[in-house]
Amino acid sequence: MSFINQTFKPILNRLGSMPVAILLLVLLAVASVIGTVLQQNKEQADYLFQFGPTWYWTFRALGLFDMYHTWWFMTILGLLMFSLSACLIRNTPRFLKEMKSRKGTMSDNARKHIDYKFDLTFGSKDKAIAAIKSSLPDWKWMETKVGDTLWLRGDKGRFQKWGYILVHSAMLVILIGGGMSVQFGFRGNMAVPEGGKESEISFLNGTSTEYLKMPFEIRCDDFEINFFSTGAPSEFRSTLTIIEDGKEVMTSDIIVNEPLYYKGVRIYQASFGDGGSKVNLNLFRLTKKGNVDTATGQIYTQFQDPYSDVSLEFKDFRPYNIENMAAAGEPKDFKDMGPSVDFVIRGEGLTPVLVRSFMNPFMMDDANQGSFIMVSKTGDARDFESYSLGLDFSNPKEWELFQSFIRKMPAEVASSQEAEQRANLNAFRAALDEVYGEVRPDDLPMLGNRVIQALRVLPDMPWPFVPILEDYDQTYYTGLQLAKDPGMDVVWIGSGVLVLGLCIMFYIAHRKVWIKIEEEDGEVKLEVTGMSNRNPVAFEQEFEDLEQQIKDAYEQGVSS
Amino acid sequence: MTAVTMDAKTSSISIFTGRIAHVRAWAYLGMIAGLAAMAMFSGDGYVEDNFVFQMFSMQGVTWMAGGAVFGVAYAFATSARKFRAFRFSEILVPWLDGAVLMVALMGLYTLFEPSEAMISYEDQSNLFSGRIVMTMNIAFLFSALCYIAYLFAPDSFIGKLGTITAWTGVYAGGSALLLRWYESYLLMGGDIGHAPVSNLYEVFILLFCIISVVYLTLESRHKARGLGAFVMPIVAAGIFFAIWLESIGQSDIKPLVPALQSYWMKIHVPLNFVGYGSFAVACGAGMAWLVRNRVENRNPDSKLLAILPSLKQLDQLSYKAVAIGFPAFTLATILGAAWAAEAWGGYWSWDPKETWALIVWLVYGAYLHARFSHGLQGKTLAWWCVIGFVVTIFCFVGVNMYLSGLHSYGQLT
Ligand code: HEM
Repeated sequence: MSFINQTFKPILNRLGSMPVAILLLVLLAVASVIGTVLQQNKEQADYLFQFGPTWYWTFRALGLFDMYHTWWFMTILGLLMFSLSACLIRNTPRFLKEMKSRKGTMSDNARKHIDYKFDLTFGSKDKAIAAIKSSLPDWKWMETKVGDTLWLRGDKGRFQKWGYILVHSAMLVILIGGGMSVQFGFRGNMAVPEGGKESEISFLNGTSTEYLKMPFEIRCDDFEINFFSTGAPSEFRSTLTIIEDGKEVMTSDIIVNEPLYYKGVRIYQASFGDGGSKVNLNLFRLTKKGNVDTATGQIYTQFQDPYSDVSLEFKDFRPYNIENMAAAGEPKDFKDMGPSVDFVIRGEGLTPVLVRSFMNPFMMDDANQGSFIMVSKTGDARDFESYSLGLDFSNPKEWELFQSFIRKMPAEVASSQEAEQRANLNAFRAALDEVYGEVRPDDLPMLGNRVIQALRVLPDMPWPFVPILEDYDQTYYTGLQLAKDPGMDVVWIGSGVLVLGLCIMFYIAHRKVWIKIEEEDGEVKLEVTGMSNRNPVAFEQEFEDLEQQIKDAYEQGVSS
Repeated sequence: MTAVTMDAKTSSISIFTGRIAHVRAWAYLGMIAGLAAMAMFSGDGYVEDNFVFQMFSMQGVTWMAGGAVFGVAYAFATSARKFRAFRFSEILVPWLDGAVLMVALMGLYTLFEPSEAMISYEDQSNLFSGRIVMTMNIAFLFSALCYIAYLFAPDSFIGKLGTITAWTGVYAGGSALLLRWYESYLLMGGDIGHAPVSNLYEVFILLFCIISVVYLTLESRHKARGLGAFVMPIVAAGIFFAIWLESIGQSDIKPLVPALQSYWMKIHVPLNFVGYGSFAVACGAGMAWLVRNRVENRNPDSKLLAILPSLKQLDQLSYKAVAIGFPAFTLATILGAAWAAEAWGGYWSWDPKETWALIVWLVYGAYLHARFSHGLQGKTLAWWCVIGFVVTIFCFVGVNMYLSGLHSYGQLT
């Protein structure tokens, strides 16, 4: 027993001491910085690339890529818990005793060392006592008689030390709750395509991805995005059905900030993406015949052109493309460019590039500027550059017209520029007759411009065809986060107590007043002394006012 | 009985003290309760986008008036008690007056709002709030200059001018933010209306006002006008940053991303800034302590010493400021965790912003403990306040600029 006392008492005292507490708090702060500077839980390959092998392995050995779960970080938290317990054990009994036992008297010597005091002289003892009590109405009073001397002691905010006990036990409770969350909870993601089902979540554990099967399945019945007119999304909404043992248990909508709760598991709307939309593209062949094929595919799949070695790997589909069309510095002008599909185009002798093909032509001030595509040579969507293709490919007649025009253009070089222009114009008229007949299209001048632009760009296309999005059937997947957190409620309780305790600690001062009342020669002498354990400035004011208040109250008491 | 005679004795009857303050405070509280009751029990219930308009409708006025009647009744029922019991009301009532004045100013500004044709989402330069913010900028900059001048030319008029312009800035800033809230409903058919605490520019204005209010409150309670020369320049520096933000287009009202569309935002963000603002004041007091300490050692008969509060007072003031900021910041962090639990699926994700909030909290927690430990006093604590605020600034601007994470809405682009 004494061995235990001798060994553990000093450790307990040391751990529960103020310098150790300060050290632990600062240490925890400094350690936390590391994890914010070094991005956590990225791909290992990225780290290796970023730091090189030496630093990568050093950091990895120290667990810095998943720092907040390493043994050494946990040790700091554990030590803080020990320290908190130690100082609670040490201080609580002392504070409880202090709050309970009130000393009714004060020695003259002690009074000498206190700043807040004044003396008063009155005629009547009873009225003086009444005046004091009415001046400090909601204080707690205690009377002590020592010989002929009467002592009054008043207290306000006596329970202030509870603040200390509450704050420090609350921190302990929060840390325990956090521990429970880590030990007994889980958190992971799942992606459910519209119409599809999923029951497994994936999550990162240190450097590897792990999977966990849920006791139920989730089906995504519908996913919807709403947009502001700036193109920024305003709401994501998933309609989910929970299926347990093959039976549909519940159906509910979730949005960001409004999760679903089922059997202790919370289901959150976390992200979304393309769930394998079906797309049809028209491939306008840049051959003599100029025929048009259809490429049918699905996002995340590949299309192999049967007539060449060119392939398209579909990456993403977007039903809207809202862009700010204004020049920098001008008032913004938002416009929807319509649906688009992204794919990587590959083939022998071709540099693989990322292409975004739009379904609709580009309209500027109601004038049709023809179809366009965007190409990113780096494969990064930020590097997209726009290319105008001239023709409006969504209108099949324009491609026909273009083909007919090329065929009718004079093969041999004309004698003069004038002659060439005339021949071209004739060819264009003939082509118009062939495709449109008598009824000429409305925007004939624009059409002419488009064909000229097409003549300029189409022959330079590196690919054997022009791929244009023609039709689609969109599906999203909804990205859900599933979490079970048995420590959460403990943390909330701890948090509530923490705030309550802080308010008591900071905003309530334990104020004490001792009043020594002695009768001498028919006069009553009062010696008033005050003390406050915090906020001396406010107490000074309060105490100064007290003198006048007692006098005033006494006079009223006498006059009434 | 006592109360009546006490009031009669103080020759000037003030609406800020005694029974009048008591009745007014409870009338205000009754009105607030009435509004809360309307949100909860009235036929249409609480529709956020509509509530401000409902408040000023006949229905809103009825609920508020009803609440006020109950409040006044309660005040009369309790006012037989001794005058010391009115302290609560006396502290509360100026704050509520101030809030009402701000709302009234906002209502006044709406009359000057340009016609609908001149306001559009694409071009927000005509919005009236921009001009009020400009007024605020000028007021705060001028106030900072006055306070600095006051240190060297201890003319009480200049000091008073500093205080008055600082208050002007507070009212301009606060009412401009309220007006901005209203204006956000004028754009794009009211689709994107939201509280003005959603981007760095807006929270900066909030921060200026909170720093000033915390400082001015301490100034008036503790007669510490000399401290202004250290606090208001912090605000002035912030104003230059905010002007830069405006110049790069950060001042536009933009729609909220879905994660921010939550009532938590309105509580979490302002509370956080009560914390940040108080820490700024603590930093000002810390700097003042360090300066005074130096002057006392080198030049003991400097005039500065007559203006600056004593070392002990400055030490107390910085502690006071932390005592306001620490509980507010704690609560804000907890509410942030509650929001994260609702939006992201976990109350704590060690995301950089969260982690830095924890770091700030630990720094000030350690400061509070350091005050109780004998080895550390005076100079160390003053430095602690200054460095603590540097950490705070990083938490609130630096994280957005240099680190990426879930809180990236505040990012500068
Ligand atoms: C994260 C954990 C902690 C928090 C949030 C915390 C919070 C606080 C706060 C806010 C105060 C009040 C300071 C003031 O009155 O101005 C305080 C005081 C104190 N703390 Fe802590 N504390 C923590 C850890 C510890 C630890 C580990 C110890 C162990 C030694 C400790 C010992 C004390 C003591 C002795 C006081 C002074 C109480 C008094 O005399 O009134 N604290 N703490």
